[in-house]
Amino acid sequence: MYLLLFALLIYSGSTFAQKIEVKGKVVDQSTGEPLGGVSIITNKIKGALLTKQDGTFALSLDKGASTLVFTYVGYVPQSVSASTSTVLNILLVPNTLSQEEVVVIGYGTQKKSSLTGAVVKYKNDRMDESPLSRLDQALQGRIAGLTVQNISSEAGAAPKINIRGISSINAGSSPLVVVDGQPIPDGLAFLNMADVESVEVLKDAASAAIYGSRGSGGVILVTTKKGTADKPKYVLKYSVGEKKDYKRYDIMTTGEYIGLLFQEMAKRAQDSTVLPANNTVADGDRASYVVENLFRGGQSTDWQGESLRPATFQNVMLSVAGGKKDVRYFLSTGYQNDEGMMYKSNYEKLNIRTRVDLDLSKKVKLSLNVNPSYSKRSAPSENFTNFWRFPTWLPVYHNAATAAFVNTNPQYAGIRAGDYAHPRHFSGLSYAGSMPDGTNWTSGATTVNPSGSAQQNPKSAVIRTDISNNEYRLQSSADLNIILLPGLTFKTLASTYLNYTNGLDFSRRSANRDGDNNRGEFTNNVFIDLLSENTLNYVKSVGKSDFNILAGFTSQKTTISRDQTAAIDFPSDEIRTLNSAAQLDKLGTFGTKNQIGLLSYLGRLNYAYDDKYLLSASFRADGSSYFGPGNKWGTFPSISLGWVASKEKFLSNIDWLSNLKFRGSYGVSGNNRITDFAFLDLMYGANYSLGSGTGTSSPGLVNSPTIISNPAITWESTYQSNFGLDMSLFSGKLGITLDAYKSKTDKLLLQQSAMAFTGVPQFWNNIGSLRNTGIEIELTTRNIQTKSFKWSTSANISQNKNSIIELGTEAYLLNQGERTEVYRNKVGNPLVQYFGFKTDGVWTSQEQINKAIAGGLTSSLSNVFVPGGLKIVDVNGDNKIDNEDRTDLGNPYPDFTWGITNNFSFKGFDASFSFQGVQGGKLINGDPNYNESRRTIKVYNENRWVSAKFPGDGKTPFSTLGYNWMLTDYVIEDASYVSLRDVNIGYTIPADFMKKLKVNSLRFYLSAQNLYFKTAKGYRGLNPEGRFTNGAYSSVLVDGYQRGSFPIPKTVLIGIDINF
Amino acid sequence: MKRHLFTLIICIILFASCKKNIEIYPLSNVTTATFYKNTTDIQTALIGCYNGLQKPLLEEWKMSELRSDNAIMGNAASKSVPNRDLSDLDLFIPNTSHQGIYNFWINTYANIRNVNVLLNSLNVNYSKSTGSITSDTSAVLISSKDKKELSAEAAFIRAYHYFNLVRQFGGVFLVHEPLSPFDATSLNRETADEIYKLIIADLSYAIANGPAFKYASIPAATLGRVNSWTAKALLAKVYLTQNRKADAIPLLTDIISNSGYGLVATYSDVFSISNEMNREILFAIRYKAGGIGLGSPFPNSFAPELSGTAVIIGDGGGFNTPSSDLNLTYAATDLRKGISIGEYGNTKVLYPKKMISPVSIVNDAENDWIVMRFADVVLMLAEAQGNTTASLALINQTRKRAGLTDLLPAAVSTVALFEKELANERRLEFTFENMRWYDLMRYNKTMTTITAEQTLKNHYSAVYVAHYGKYPSPRPTLAQIQAYITTDRLLLPIPQREIDNNTTLKIPQNPGY
Repeated sequence: MYLLLFALLIYSGSTFAQKIEVKGKVVDQSTGEPLGGVSIITNKIKGALLTKQDGTFALSLDKGASTLVFTYVGYVPQSVSASTSTVLNILLVPNTLSQEEVVVIGYGTQKKSSLTGAVVKYKNDRMDESPLSRLDQALQGRIAGLTVQNISSEAGAAPKINIRGISSINAGSSPLVVVDGQPIPDGLAFLNMADVESVEVLKDAASAAIYGSRGSGGVILVTTKKGTADKPKYVLKYSVGEKKDYKRYDIMTTGEYIGLLFQEMAKRAQDSTVLPANNTVADGDRASYVVENLFRGGQSTDWQGESLRPATFQNVMLSVAGGKKDVRYFLSTGYQNDEGMMYKSNYEKLNIRTRVDLDLSKKVKLSLNVNPSYSKRSAPSENFTNFWRFPTWLPVYHNAATAAFVNTNPQYAGIRAGDYAHPRHFSGLSYAGSMPDGTNWTSGATTVNPSGSAQQNPKSAVIRTDISNNEYRLQSSADLNIILLPGLTFKTLASTYLNYTNGLDFSRRSANRDGDNNRGEFTNNVFIDLLSENTLNYVKSVGKSDFNILAGFTSQKTTISRDQTAAIDFPSDEIRTLNSAAQLDKLGTFGTKNQIGLLSYLGRLNYAYDDKYLLSASFRADGSSYFGPGNKWGTFPSISLGWVASKEKFLSNIDWLSNLKFRGSYGVSGNNRITDFAFLDLMYGANYSLGSGTGTSSPGLVNSPTIISNPAITWESTYQSNFGLDMSLFSGKLGITLDAYKSKTDKLLLQQSAMAFTGVPQFWNNIGSLRNTGIEIELTTRNIQTKSFKWSTSANISQNKNSIIELGTEAYLLNQGERTEVYRNKVGNPLVQYFGFKTDGVWTSQEQINKAIAGGLTSSLSNVFVPGGLKIVDVNGDNKIDNEDRTDLGNPYPDFTWGITNNFSFKGFDASFSFQGVQGGKLINGDPNYNESRRTIKVYNENRWVSAKFPGDGKTPFSTLGYNWMLTDYVIEDASYVSLRDVNIGYTIPADFMKKLKVNSLRFYLSAQNLYFKTAKGYRGLNPEGRFTNGAYSSVLVDGYQRGSFPIPKTVLIGIDINF
Repeated sequence: MKRHLFTLIICIILFASCKKNIEIYPLSNVTTATFYKNTTDIQTALIGCYNGLQKPLLEEWKMSELRSDNAIMGNAASKSVPNRDLSDLDLFIPNTSHQGIYNFWINTYANIRNVNVLLNSLNVNYSKSTGSITSDTSAVLISSKDKKELSAEAAFIRAYHYFNLVRQFGGVFLVHEPLSPFDATSLNRETADEIYKLIIADLSYAIANGPAFKYASIPAATLGRVNSWTAKALLAKVYLTQNRKADAIPLLTDIISNSGYGLVATYSDVFSISNEMNREILFAIRYKAGGIGLGSPFPNSFAPELSGTAVIIGDGGGFNTPSSDLNLTYAATDLRKGISIGEYGNTKVLYPKKMISPVSIVNDAENDWIVMRFADVVLMLAEAQGNTTASLALINQTRKRAGLTDLLPAAVSTVALFEKELANERRLEFTFENMRWYDLMRYNKTMTTITAEQTLKNHYSAVYVAHYGKYPSPRPTLAQIQAYITTDRLLLPIPQREIDNNTTLKIPQNPGY
């Protein structure tokens, strides 16, 4: 259509032959600076005209419609039509979607225009102004296909991160993180965000294959800033703000809950189906009411308030960059203090970076990079769950009345007001007091326990326990570039990464239980990673052909040692060095040392013909110490092709299409991230005491009780194909990148279940395969671009589907989670599906049950036919409710994830709003497993069943009745959400004014996170992103379980950014 | 330029020598393949097998004491998963995926694997067809005396594990050599008889090859190790369990006359932590306090729940709660009652006191777990001999130590009376020593008037009002609970995982599950 119009314009233009005058000025759209030397092409004049130095031009053209095309390097070409004499003011738009943009790829860089793989570049554009302490969190919602999930909101906690879904089961599936060429496991944690120049994500296997062995989870390349030959430029940034919980649980106080029980009792009394003997409030509940009402005067403890606090977030950054012709430098230092919302939760980080680039000669270049950093993390000893599920009748500290009361038990005669109160203090006593219905109640001589909890009150445990961890890191590298021949460069990089961690978990006397000894656990871990990379790169152009050939080898060796010493009985809680401990505790004491080696050969050919036809082929062979002799080597080839269609003649004249490129790739990447020495059976210490008296410990060894090795274990490989297209339309106003992929992971490194009578429950095997398919779309638009007001948008959306193709000989695996909930991994289905019973509200009456039973319904399960309990659906319709009725109840994988950022600027003001969300995907809410949550969280008690006559909403079961909730869909909830993840509003003081102060620029900003967070209907928790399960159950096959979700943090900070 | 090329070449040479980089072997662990070379290695591996005895013991009380009439699930009101699992065992309605049963199973088989690897390295093998152990030369540098003794101990440990398995599960999987996961799927359950064949072969081997010092001359450093007498005592119990009384008698009399083992003076001396491995102890699974990772967890798990520091530092789990009928069975003058059963707090919560000693770290107590002691030998002989005067004298040995008067022949005038007295005596003597359940099962064969089923039904009616009647509603009636006990359910279910995990063979489940 446009093509046709264009042709018509050209045609109509040539039919008249009178002169018109066209003149005007060309300026840069963003800065307003005049542009000289801009070429102007029209259909009326042969050859090109250039604008003058001041940007002006004047043309004399034949009358009639003419098209003027203004082109200038680094700007989007603009065409204007003129039919009469006119003055044109041309605003040329800098080409940020420029084909000239350079992208970092594995072992090199490439022009974006000749890229053939799925690589996304994310520039650090005020990323460092977000109130976040980690780079990975800042990437959330920014890049299609990269999912970042904040599974914990604790300060400094690592999010769950993956690229294009889960490609592995028992081997690690997280992306490989490479910082300035060196793979660093915790690369996204320690970096100072202000040092980051850009982040590139290699999504498809073809791009990642050059990282061979470790590329199957995708690769994240981080490039840090460097200096340019210029006078020193200083940047100082400071921001400070406050973090608060977005939402808390609505918790009933003991008074409210026991009040509810009495109301329910009164209701049941009106119901003839309820036996009076069964219509009581339990003594324990009455006793708890007495404590809160009588001894505490109706005061209740807000345990959430006891654990949470408004926390501060602070960020300081200072850098200087500059250089002379031969020496360029970048120095920076950054400090962050991220206080957690929970007491004692804190993350502090100090970073220093020095980067020097030296041109030793015309042919030899050296660059040095030294990055020491320090971080300190402290954590509360109790998690948030342990707070909110504690009963509100229990005070944190005894008051005079509660102390006097518990003193009546001789065991607790010594307790005084002000001492910590614990549930056990209130056990084994007689209670008496008035009840919510006005009656008086006494337990008489019978003793009552208002709480059966053996736990200490959580606040006392947190205050008396200190958990801290110090990490000292030093990343440094030196690389030497030598131009051997024209076009041939040799590069050698030596890089080291040292990480020393020391920690102390210290619990004071009686911190966890009365009479407990004080105890310290001292940890010392050393991680040393040495990398040598050597590459030869040859660049050559012959005619229209451009070649870029890379060959290299790398060698990496990692040494890890971990030591932990546990000691007890320190004479003072405040002297915490090992020398003062009276006794060591072998159970917490160990030391291990391990080495990991990787050896690789790699090669790549990039070929471009006329910048139109592109080809890239790469190959990598990796030898890994993770595998046994004969199985160490894996090969990872890839090929990708590109076609820049917009450069073809038949498309080059279309003015609204500035770029159209098709890409296709296929590649193999590997995975070796399993436990060490899976190919060997190891023996572990198992001592035993023999001899007279209490015996003497003798050293013993046994075989591993957890897994049997497999000498044949080898690489897991992911084969992925990717099809993509890049488009730039309407003078770059709209940019579209579209990718579709399909991958298959074969020879999964699987911890397969062994028959338990072999003595070991699992063995290593390469078996089974997985599939991931997906679509990713990224859009960038420049909606309004005027001199004073600009509005641009970038948006991304991605979808990934996975399914199991094969699991060896198994049709499916069933895995039990922390609370007996079941996960099914079935061939042909998504990797994890929740597996359990469907329910249809509750059984409202015995009559209803009797009718169903009379209709032939039976069950071999217990607690199925209980009024007030969940009504399980007979899914297979055999009139029998049994395990065969279990069915798929949804999965944890979202339908799609998305992010959208709008950037505005108006004169000195700028603003950016990033929304981000996840649609679809379910989670298992683990909280209903706990009686305390069922009783205290209001949402579980509203409209619940009381009796046949008062069935509530017919959907909410009574807390103690019927079938185990955890095995049904009653606990499966929608995990979708929409969040206003990031807001950044700034004001830059006008430059003219600042020049007088010799300041280049000064900007104030306000940055906020999670100002708005909307969760799905039916979600009963606090944070749909939260995932928390017992360590033993943290497996990819047991996914989507959430217990005691920690609140979402809402952070607001203000900052200043000075450049001088 | 030449200089640069030179650098390049150096780099390539350096790199070529990096091959070693990926030939890495463990620095922190020994590997099985290269380990078993000499006597010290075998000894070290055997110590590991002794250590492996501890883990199944963590679960065994649930299968023995809790299922018997000795103990009840203390926290009746709790609906938490671990507590509900214990209630299910107590009530004979465990599901086939029961965690405790599975743990008992896998931890037992894990140590059987340890033993099998050790015996295999010594080339000491069991032949299923001949039902005997053969010992052939192996590559291990070891004297024949050491080889005999060490392999005898290992064989005993294997027999001990299989004996527990066959009594709890019936015919199980017969694994007598290291088994690869690939071969395991073609192995199905054996009959109980086949399992007993292996047990008897192992114990006969241990009797023939184990050291046979009299108690007084056992080298002090080896106290706690299994010897020929230990094996004889266990074999006697195996025979008795199979109702082969005549085979058991000579073994038992041999121990009584020739071993040098005997009863200690007082009942409390048997369990005192300052008197470990005393002359009454034929076999104990040993623990050692002191923060060396070898302490006993039982005091903390058995002390009453919420008792704070009153009974033991670090609070108790309240497990293995004595039943009220057990408490009432003791005669008022029985000295054993105060040693075996403790009472805590105003409400006098009962707890097993026998194996509780103070700790300074939670789950780190000194108490050895006694598996077989001389009193057992004495009472087994009485059981094997039946109602004779000699048997009466044997029973009176333990009664006397307990401060009770002698039983007179008139009190055991009938078989029923004798059996009742003997069973009663064993119950009170071995409370919480993981014996009651196996005894009840055995009485079904060796006695004519006592059945496990009826004993348990009586137990339920004795404690129903005070205990099961207080379970959260909807609670089962007494008749319902009594109906849970069927002859089939005396055996535990084979863990569901074993059945689900084998896609080649159909593994039969025990009937009743």
